[in-house]
Amino acid sequence: MFNMIKADMYRILKGKGIYIAIILVLLLCFVSAIGMSAGYVGINTATTQTEEEVSLYEELNKAKSIQEYRTIMKENGSFALDKEVIGQNANLYYIFIILVVVVLCTDFSNKSVKNTLSSAISRKKYYLSKNILIFGLCTFIILFNNYFFYFLNLFMNGSSFSSSLYEITKITITQLPLLYGIISLQICIAFLVKKTATFNTITIPFLAITQLLVIGFTNLFKVNADWFYNYELQFALAKLTSSPSISFVMTCTILGLIYIVVFHLIAYTSIKRAEIK
Amino acid sequence: MKEIILKTNNLTKKYKDFTALDQVSITVNKGDIYGLIGRNGAGKTTLMRIITTLTNKTSGEFELFQQKDDNLLEPKKRMGCLIEEPAFFPNLTCYENLKYYAIQKGIVDLSQIDESLKLVELSDAKRKKFKNLSLGMKQRLGIAFAILDNPDFIVLDEPINGLDPIGISNLRQTFKNLNEEKNITILISSHILSELYVIATKFCILESGHVVKELSKEQLDEECRKCIVIKTEDIENACTIIETDLHTTNYKVVDKTEIRLYDYLAQPDKVNKALIKKEIDVKSLYETGISLEDYFKTIVKEDEKHV
Repeated sequence: MFNMIKADMYRILKGKGIYIAIILVLLLCFVSAIGMSAGYVGINTATTQTEEEVSLYEELNKAKSIQEYRTIMKENGSFALDKEVIGQNANLYYIFIILVVVVLCTDFSNKSVKNTLSSAISRKKYYLSKNILIFGLCTFIILFNNYFFYFLNLFMNGSSFSSSLYEITKITITQLPLLYGIISLQICIAFLVKKTATFNTITIPFLAITQLLVIGFTNLFKVNADWFYNYELQFALAKLTSSPSISFVMTCTILGLIYIVVFHLIAYTSIKRAEIK
Repeated sequence: MKEIILKTNNLTKKYKDFTALDQVSITVNKGDIYGLIGRNGAGKTTLMRIITTLTNKTSGEFELFQQKDDNLLEPKKRMGCLIEEPAFFPNLTCYENLKYYAIQKGIVDLSQIDESLKLVELSDAKRKKFKNLSLGMKQRLGIAFAILDNPDFIVLDEPINGLDPIGISNLRQTFKNLNEEKNITILISSHILSELYVIATKFCILESGHVVKELSKEQLDEECRKCIVIKTEDIENACTIIETDLHTTNYKVVDKTEIRLYDYLAQPDKVNKALIKKEIDVKSLYETGISLEDYFKTIVKEDEKHV
């Protein structure tokens, strides 16, 4: 199994995917640190804004240069930018897609999986080694994103816009089960569809479509959607950064663990029975 | 007694209502070049895919290096294979693709990569990306992968597809060398019967998922060989006349009523005269002998009649 991970690392480092993923994380970090706000991908639900916030946005819109923009932000008072950025870690979902494609989908799409499985590698070993590698790389991306941004923000914006390293570590740990759950979902889809194009077609719009469907459904049938806003990936990850209650953290952890178990059971059953073409 | 490399027993594969493989029982001994002959959809690839564990069997069993099919991890280490078209990472070069599998298989001596590439005459293209290779080159890289870790047994599904005549001839020699010098047992399938005939030492004819005939090269030669068939009830005297009057022992008694004579092919009338002169009751006398293709067609047709 170790040899297989080593071989995959050799292949991945020869390709572009991993470097693109790292460059994208770096870009996200720099854009957020320079712009002093967290960017996000997905549906943003309307939130009520205070008069102060409205006037701040108006002022920011009038800024003629990035320097002016940053000055306005800094004059407006301190806030934990790093926590806000880590709260938008649902963005990493798209980076995880790249990693799952690089590690797993290419193997199925190029049919090179049959070379591996027809030699002395069992399906169980194959499944485990691919998972270890994907989880390893995704964990690296999560840690890199969180800690790189922490230090970059501290360096660029000063301590008024930073929280403590302890708090960042705490948030990172509380977010991990949900992030691992969503990685498990992607791995499950990859093992089920076994094709890069189909995998991308399903996973790229997945978060947005899920959000749209649930919002549409709850609006149409006038259903209380608080449960959705609480535990949907994007909202839950953001909420975990703003001093959540123990019960919320526990619920998110259990939810993440359920995702992990369920999606891995489906994925492993699928690869165990699959016809390798 | 020769070591048995592969033994299948009533191996069956069903896809819903379609039976791709129907109770196939074959034996591949050490040193064999075992040729699988069959039309498209006859079950050749399915059989190879089951052996290489790419597909699960529906019923039956098989043994690889005398290990049952529920414990194939160790025997699979001694096997190399190329199933269907060669599949590699398009953006890696030939060398990098093989290095990937060498690391995966735990091969420490990376000079084996160069050796494999040299054997299939791809040394000059080792820095070429897989996506830029011609079909024949891809095929040869697939074979290089199959022989990468010096296996004892290689499974090759249509390995000469897409190769030019010189490539086929070179590869034929490579297979023979691997078999004779390294004592590698080979299970090979091909549509090109004449090529398979030159390479293989044992044959299995598959049709509609079942084994129609399993025979050695000698037996196949015998079945296809040109000869004069003499049908008579008086076999004993007929043999005496062939030896004394026609001065040849190059004949074979097939059964109680049939002799196959391999001399006098241009003079069947002389044979007939000699037998009649000694009052042998010749029921029929005719020349026979067919090509491998014709033999294959005949066997398949006979099988269709039985089904």
